Amino acid sequence: MKKLLMGTTISIVVSSTLYAASSQNAEIAQLQEDVKTLKLANQKMERESDANAMSGFQLAGYSSFDYANEENGEDSFSGVRFAPIFHYQYGDRFQFEGELDITINNEGETDIELEYAAGTYFVNDYLGVQIGKFLSPIGQFVQNLHPSWINKLPSTPVGFGHDGAAPTSNVGIALRGGLPKVANMRSNYVVFVSNAPTFGVAADGDVVIGAEGKTASVDGAKMWGARYALNPIGNMEIGISAATGDISEELLSGDELLRDYDVLGADFVYHFNAISLRGEYIQQKVGENTLSTLEGGTWRAWYTQASYQFSSINLEPVVRYSDYHNPETNRNQWAFGLNYLFANNIIAKIAYEINTDEDDSAIGSRANNNRFLAQFAFGF
Amino acid sequence: MKNIVKTIIIGLGVFISINTEMIATEADKADTVNGAQVWADTCMRCHNMRQPSDLSSRAWSFSMNHMRVRAGLTGKETRDILAFILASKTESDRN
Repeated sequence: MKKLLMGTTISIVVSSTLYAASSQNAEIAQLQEDVKTLKLANQKMERESDANAMSGFQLAGYSSFDYANEENGEDSFSGVRFAPIFHYQYGDRFQFEGELDITINNEGETDIELEYAAGTYFVNDYLGVQIGKFLSPIGQFVQNLHPSWINKLPSTPVGFGHDGAAPTSNVGIALRGGLPKVANMRSNYVVFVSNAPTFGVAADGDVVIGAEGKTASVDGAKMWGARYALNPIGNMEIGISAATGDISEELLSGDELLRDYDVLGADFVYHFNAISLRGEYIQQKVGENTLSTLEGGTWRAWYTQASYQFSSINLEPVVRYSDYHNPETNRNQWAFGLNYLFANNIIAKIAYEINTDEDDSAIGSRANNNRFLAQFAFGF
Repeated sequence: MKNIVKTIIIGLGVFISINTEMIATEADKADTVNGAQVWADTCMRCHNMRQPSDLSSRAWSFSMNHMRVRAGLTGKETRDILAFILASKTESDRN
């Protein structure tokens, strides 16, 4: 009887153990299956996440705050700028970028300008087709150096601001990209066609070239241009630019006429260790037209700039000379600056400008005034 | 004279279009060594270097397409620089 009882007990224990082991194995198999499913789901999510990262939009931009103390003039917190840049891209085939330039004027009103808004379709590794309003490909400063966190001084070189000697933007089409290396040298190009600029008298009485991109084109007038830049050594670039076409002028009668328009430019930059040297020359020439009372002429400007970055103490002294000539005056400027880099994109700048202008005859003219400037700028 | 310049510019555009299409896209394999070299050569020409940790991986992909247009980079150079930057990110800022 005892043996029977013992046998029964052992049978129950063995069968229970076997059942439990079998059940556990099933659970483990299920868990393994679940882990496998989760891994696949995770991989899919990662792939989708990467795809989303390549197609979507991003907000970047820069901002700056200025102070100016002018010789024989007033001192003021002279500028507030917020320039958001919107980026959209579809994989590595298409990208759109648009920048707004939002500033406060002397009356406290907010001015908003569309600096550029252009889409680029990348046909292949060496060709992008850009359409819209794009920064002028002529030269370097307007296109690449104007953002306040990039410009090493609080001000622009004379002649390189709006209505100066350097064209600012175009509305049209551009072909652009980098080219295959030749003799181990890199190079890049832009070829473009855009609506013609305008010529006339500004509100302050100056005769100016309106080289800001426009959506109107008198009689379909266009300008055609190109820039080619070569990198003879890695950290050096030498560029040449040219454009030609028509410029339109609105007469007092309201009629529009066209005049010849030609642009030439040359630029260089060389970065060696902590030294950065750069320079640029641009000229715009407007032809004569006997139907107009405004004389044509040449607007030309150039600058050269040197800076040195003491990375151990985050300081960067800068010196720049710029010169601007137009049919009404000659102007030049020395600018000496010192920057403190809180980070590579957060910069405090101080500078002193020595300004000389032949045309200081107007009452209250401040063209010859020297200025102390300070600016806090950051890019994001 | 103007017509000659226009013809040259149009011809240049057509020449570039045809030739770059024939060259087509280079092999897709990103080269981080070339990326490091082009990054060092190109970025400092205009602005202070941004550290890989300054932007997220996603933001870098947008930023590089922007710089492709702005700095006149080839597609291959753009991919190489992006690969170098992403490879340079530390584990903690790899997002």
